[in-house]
Amino acid sequence: MRGQTLRPYLLIMPSLAFLLLLFFVPLVQTVALAFSTTTGTGVGNFVQMLDDLDFRDSVRNTFGLVLCVVPLQLLAALGMSMMLRHVRWGRDIILWIWTIPLGISDLAAGLVWLAILTDKGYLNTILFEVGVISGPQSWLTYETPGALFLAILTAEFWRATAIVFVVLVAGVQLIPREYEEAASVFGATAWQRFRRVTLPLLRPSIQTALILRTVLAFEAFAVVLAVGGRNFPVLVSQAYLWQFTNQNYNVAACYAVLVTLVSLAATLVILIALRPRAGESA
Amino acid sequence: MADIRIESVTKYYGSQAALRGVSLDVHNGEFVALLGPSGCGKTTLLRAVAGLDRQTNGRIEIGGRDVSDLPPRSRGLAMVFQNYAVFPHLRVRDNIAFGLLMTGTAKDRIERQVARAAALMHIEALLDRYPVQLSGGQRQRVAVARALAVEPAVLLMDEPLSNLDALLRLEMRTELKAVLASARTTTLYVTHDQTEAMGLADRIAIMHEGRIEQIGSPLEIYRQPKSIFVGGFIGNPPMNFLRLPVSGSVVRLGTLILNPPAGINGPVMLGIRPEDLEVAETGAGFAFRVHVPEPLGPHILLTGDVEGQSMRVAVAPDRVMQPGDVVMLRPNTARLSWMNPDTGLALENS
Repeated sequence: MRGQTLRPYLLIMPSLAFLLLLFFVPLVQTVALAFSTTTGTGVGNFVQMLDDLDFRDSVRNTFGLVLCVVPLQLLAALGMSMMLRHVRWGRDIILWIWTIPLGISDLAAGLVWLAILTDKGYLNTILFEVGVISGPQSWLTYETPGALFLAILTAEFWRATAIVFVVLVAGVQLIPREYEEAASVFGATAWQRFRRVTLPLLRPSIQTALILRTVLAFEAFAVVLAVGGRNFPVLVSQAYLWQFTNQNYNVAACYAVLVTLVSLAATLVILIALRPRAGESA
Repeated sequence: MADIRIESVTKYYGSQAALRGVSLDVHNGEFVALLGPSGCGKTTLLRAVAGLDRQTNGRIEIGGRDVSDLPPRSRGLAMVFQNYAVFPHLRVRDNIAFGLLMTGTAKDRIERQVARAAALMHIEALLDRYPVQLSGGQRQRVAVARALAVEPAVLLMDEPLSNLDALLRLEMRTELKAVLASARTTTLYVTHDQTEAMGLADRIAIMHEGRIEQIGSPLEIYRQPKSIFVGGFIGNPPMNFLRLPVSGSVVRLGTLILNPPAGINGPVMLGIRPEDLEVAETGAGFAFRVHVPEPLGPHILLTGDVEGQSMRVAVAPDRVMQPGDVVMLRPNTARLSWMNPDTGLALENS
């Protein structure tokens, strides 16, 4: 009997140890690093981070990117999963094509978009060939912040919408068809069915997808670096810069702590905003 | 208030026929049950009337209006689903109000209708609960209340009681009948449970392999089955069929001389309900050998054989039967059914 009660814990132990060792310990170390200064413990590193010339830009860029790309991705993924429900033939192929970006590494995706958008890239070539532009255009420089932002937004949108889509498709499949049929019998139009039945029933999936995507969007790095380089600083690329270029691990740790706090806060906001109402679930 | 007119409706899934030309008129205020074994097409027909599936061919009219190509929401009907389909994210109150809300009904009217429907189904106390907090029977009541609240011209029900336990089903059946009778709503009701169909319906349409095999009042269907299938499907236990030769325009069974419809040559199928047989102490009868006696309370169910053909008989519980006993039986000759053994169809008494 004793072995029986211990067994579940023994089986859980390796994963627990793994997480503690490779997640919790580094987290504590990072926090310690962020607060340790040459004169002891203090907030000196944070002051240095705030004084960083690119700090405000990186905060603005990070939040701008997250606030634009995540809602767009949610809308697109909702639309895609709704459309997919009405497909009878070739559903699997469409699903497969839509999820291709999931299988491509961040950096590769960034390089693909760089190849398309750079001043000698595919887009420039095509626009030149059809006569829309008379010579190569630069979109990815600090002189064209709007175009640069749009380029990174597009790249991030292309790369990471699939994960939202996959979560929502799984959620949609869990909703019994009878609910929508009942709604249509009781007079609901297609929009009312979506708004009043499907969307509320999809809320747990939307919550999951949003948390996953928001956290990952705050950590956006490889795509941003590939397409924007130093012209588009974000929080994680600043951490990278301080860690490897400036070799100041303490300030890098401060950036890491900031990203963690922002991600946690965003998760909390989404959890609260999309929580089930009292009594709705048992 | 409206009638339903179904004209030569067919439904194919690929090359698979689910409905092979069904025509049915449900009169204004009438309760018609579609009854049949699973796979007979009854739910397919109901869904075609609802507009949830489009028929391959044929025409459906509701209240004189051709609705064949209209979406469900434009057909002016309400439906109770087998799994209730009570929206889990809405309180009972909002579930019942759903249909009225979708059609833009005024708020005070919605409130009145919800209160009325809730009172009819005795769920006033549950209005502020969510469906997860309800039992199966309560959810069923919400589903019916939601349908009644819109005061539909036509009410469709798809096996609404099949998920309830036996006692609750009996209770809901009685209640449904009372509520629907007072509302006089035209109702099309799908079930595989014959007791339910017999108890509730004004008329029953027996469906078999995508066709309506027979339509009539419950007693008509029970007393005068138009085919071996109907006789064998309706009744519990079902009708007995004996294959007997006709000689000289009469059929001999033991010492009985029975008169099948005129002009028959060759064998006939004689249909006798188990309860239309009695033990013949004296006079003409036929010998029945008991294999298994089952005392069921109201009667004893005897399973046995007559001249090698199996038969079930329900006799009064006032005698003790043993396996191997032979008793003389006599049928109620007014209640016999005669069938053509080749076509499986009833022979008309002319």
